[in-house]
Formats: sequence, C-alpha cells, structure tokens
Amino acid sequence: MADAASTPPCVEVVDLHKRFGPLEVLRGVSTRVDRGSVVSIIGASGSGKSTLLRCINYLELPTSGEVRIDGEAVGFERRPDGQVRKRSAREIARFRQDLGMVFQQFNLWPHLTVLGNVVEAPLRVRGMPKREAMELGRACLARVQLSEKADEYPARLSGGQQQRVAIARALAMQPKVMLFDEATSALDPELTGEVLEVMRGLAADGTTMIVVTHEMAFAREVSDRAIYLHNGLIEEEGPPAQVFGDPKSDRCRQFLAKLLH
Amino acid sequence: MGNWERLVWNQRDVLLQGLLVTIEICAIAFAVAIVMGLGLALIRLYVRPLRWIAGFWIEYCRATPIFVQLMWVNYVWPELIGWPTSFYTAGWVALALQSSGYLAETFRAGIENIGRGQREAAAAVGMSPILAFRRIVLPQVLVMIAPTIVTQFTVIVKSSTLVSVITVQDLMFQSQRLVNVWYEPIEILTATAALYILFIFAVSALGKALADRLRLRYGLGT
Repeated sequence: MADAASTPPCVEVVDLHKRFGPLEVLRGVSTRVDRGSVVSIIGASGSGKSTLLRCINYLELPTSGEVRIDGEAVGFERRPDGQVRKRSAREIARFRQDLGMVFQQFNLWPHLTVLGNVVEAPLRVRGMPKREAMELGRACLARVQLSEKADEYPARLSGGQQQRVAIARALAMQPKVMLFDEATSALDPELTGEVLEVMRGLAADGTTMIVVTHEMAFAREVSDRAIYLHNGLIEEEGPPAQVFGDPKSDRCRQFLAKLLH
Repeated sequence: MGNWERLVWNQRDVLLQGLLVTIEICAIAFAVAIVMGLGLALIRLYVRPLRWIAGFWIEYCRATPIFVQLMWVNYVWPELIGWPTSFYTAGWVALALQSSGYLAETFRAGIENIGRGQREAAAAVGMSPILAFRRIVLPQVLVMIAPTIVTQFTVIVKSSTLVSVITVQDLMFQSQRLVNVWYEPIEILTATAALYILFIFAVSALGKALADRLRLRYGLGT
C-alpha cells in the first residue's frame, strides 16, 4: 500500500449525491477502491447500494459529486486552464468499456448465442479482429466453466449458467474493475453457489471488484474491505472482520443481527 | 368445363401477368412501408422536436380509407409537388403510406417492449445508443413483430386490388377486363379470387415458418 498515495486509486468516489425527484438516495458518499482489491457493499434494500454502483458507471447520472477511474473524472473533464467541461455520451461510453457490470437480472441478449453475447462488445466496440475476439471469448467462457455451452442460446441455460455467461461477457472487455449488482439475488438458492464460486476465482486472480451483495458469508470471506450503507450514507467501513465481527455502528450491528435470525 | 378452359386457362397469360404486377407493386409498397414505419416509430420515440409531426402522420395514415389515400396521392400530390408522375408509382405510394402508419405503431410497441436491462447491458459494455439499437434492440423487435409484419403484407395485397381503379394493370384490373370482354364473370372472378387466396396463403405460410424458426432458434418458445 506504499504507493497508494502516489498512484490514483482504481475507482474513487467523491461526495456523490443522487436524487430521484424529492428522494435523495445517495447523500454524499466518498470512498476509494485500490487496484486488485475487493470491496463489498452491504445494506438494507433502499439504502442506495445499487444506485451507488450504477452511478459509478454512469448508468445513473449522479446529481453531484465525482467518480474517478484511475484518477480521471468520468462525468466531466478538467482542462489545464481550470475550466470544467461536461463529457459527451460518447466519452462516457468510452469509460464504461473499462467497467465490467454484472446485473441482478443477467440481461443476456437472447438473440445471440452464448459466445455471441461474449464477443459482441470486443468485436463491435473495441473493433477486435474476429479470430482474436473468438479466442478471447472462449477463454472467458472457460474462466466461468461454460466452454461447452458456447453455441447455445441463453434461454436454454439455467439462471446460474446465464449469470456466469454475463460475467464472461463483462470480462471479455478486459475491464479495470468488475461491478456486481446483487449478482445472485435473482437465483434459486441452489444456483448461487456456482456463481459465487466464479466470483471467488476472480477475486483470487487479483481482479478489482466492487460487489453489492446480500451474501454476507461470501462478502466476509472474499472482501478486503466492506462498506455498510444506510440511508444513502456510509455508516460503517473497514476490514470485513471488523464490519461483520465487531461493527462500531449500532445500525450496522442491528442490520447484521437481523440477518442472522 | 369448357367455360373454364376458354375463359380462364386460355387467358392464363393475361391473368398471370396481372398477378406479377400485383406481386411487384405489393413488394415495393411493403419494403417502403417497413423502412418508413421504422423511421416514423424512431422519430416518435426519440426525436422530441419532430414527435408531433410523426404522430400526426401516423394517425393520418391509419385514419384515412385506403381508397381516399389512393385518390389523394394520385390526383393531389402531382398538383402539389409534381410527383408521382405515373399511376403505378401512385399505387405503391398509397399502399406504402397506409401500411407505414400501422407498422410504425407495431415497431413502437415492439421497441417499448424490449426491457431496459437489454439496453443497459449494451451501455455497460460501452456501446453507443445507435449501436445498441442496431445490434441488440432491433433484431429482437423483428423476431417479436414478425407475425404482425406478415399480416400487414396480406393487408397490402388485399388493398392493392384498388389500384386497378387508377388503371394499374394488376390482377384485378386484368380480371375485370376479361369480364368486360365476355360478360361471363363466374369463372374469371372465381379464378381471380383463387389466385389471391393462393398468393396470400403462400406468403402467410412462408412468413409464419420464418418467424417460428427464428423464435425456436432463440429458444423463445413456440
């Protein structure tokens, strides 16, 4: 961590606010995620954790505050002369290429095969040659242990398999960071294991990950740091042993106690 | 059977020629209607300043009788904009106009039916909205609305009989001409009806087979 001060963090969130009409979902969230670390975000539903994740890749436009990827602000550009310019949709899309996102509902494209889903963005967004993209796609499918399903259509796969394809699709863009938005919440209990297993593997390989989850055991085991969100604010933040084992905040303690019963 | 031979079989060249014109004019109208329909739907959905024009246009196309539209395009447009200059063109333009209104609404419903998640997944990997529409949304919309599109084609075929009124020499025109020569309508008009049924049936069967194959391929049920 000696160089943490000199090189910018992989993801940095500064005083992020998000308002939906009269409802302020994020009320000033600041945090940082270093390269190679895994940060899990926990909290009750409505606490703002999914919104925070969706603001990081600008699927939701933050009301105010800043998201920086490798030190560069996603939403606007600071010119050398000190002027600030809003970035265009195209520029924001450019940032998103480096932010892999896995959705609760998988959101696979049903008209493309499994391999087609994975290579679509490398081919059409990165402009990668076809052969290279296919190789990369197959490698990503191997990482989620679905090589044999490459030519199937998503509708023929189980939920767990679909989510693993979605992870492969995100990995194929070789992102700097992977964002998981309750990746196992839509799955039957017996199918969450295979997805968590893949995520464990990614963490072990040193992938930078931000994981919004209700799987407390998983978060405790895999994360380098845990964040407990309450009403749009970070209520507790620290190593998982502290957040899960000995939280300072009463609310966090109560939240965890409720889950255990 | 003598009548059938004399009035229908011996006139088969004339009738088939007419059928060919019908197929041609319907195919042109259909192609134009699809492009226009998609364009109108996109404008209505995404181009805010022009939305009301598209909406008005769609309602106009759907709310006027095809016969009125045909007359209007054939007699009013040349006065207003100097085009179309032939009855044939006026025929397919009128047919395309009416169908474009219906297809625009079909496209719109289809596009609105594609879940937000599909577009978000495309945005999340860095696709532009246009690329996402072309590669992710449109193919799914086409599969979804394929049966409706086929139905719209059969509507065009049936409406196309009206172009005979402005002397386009389609199947209906040729058939009426034969009737007027011999004053023996039974065989000729029955044969004409049979040809229309065969044509529409063939198109429907082909379209349905195509749509089913697509849906099956994507595992979207039968």
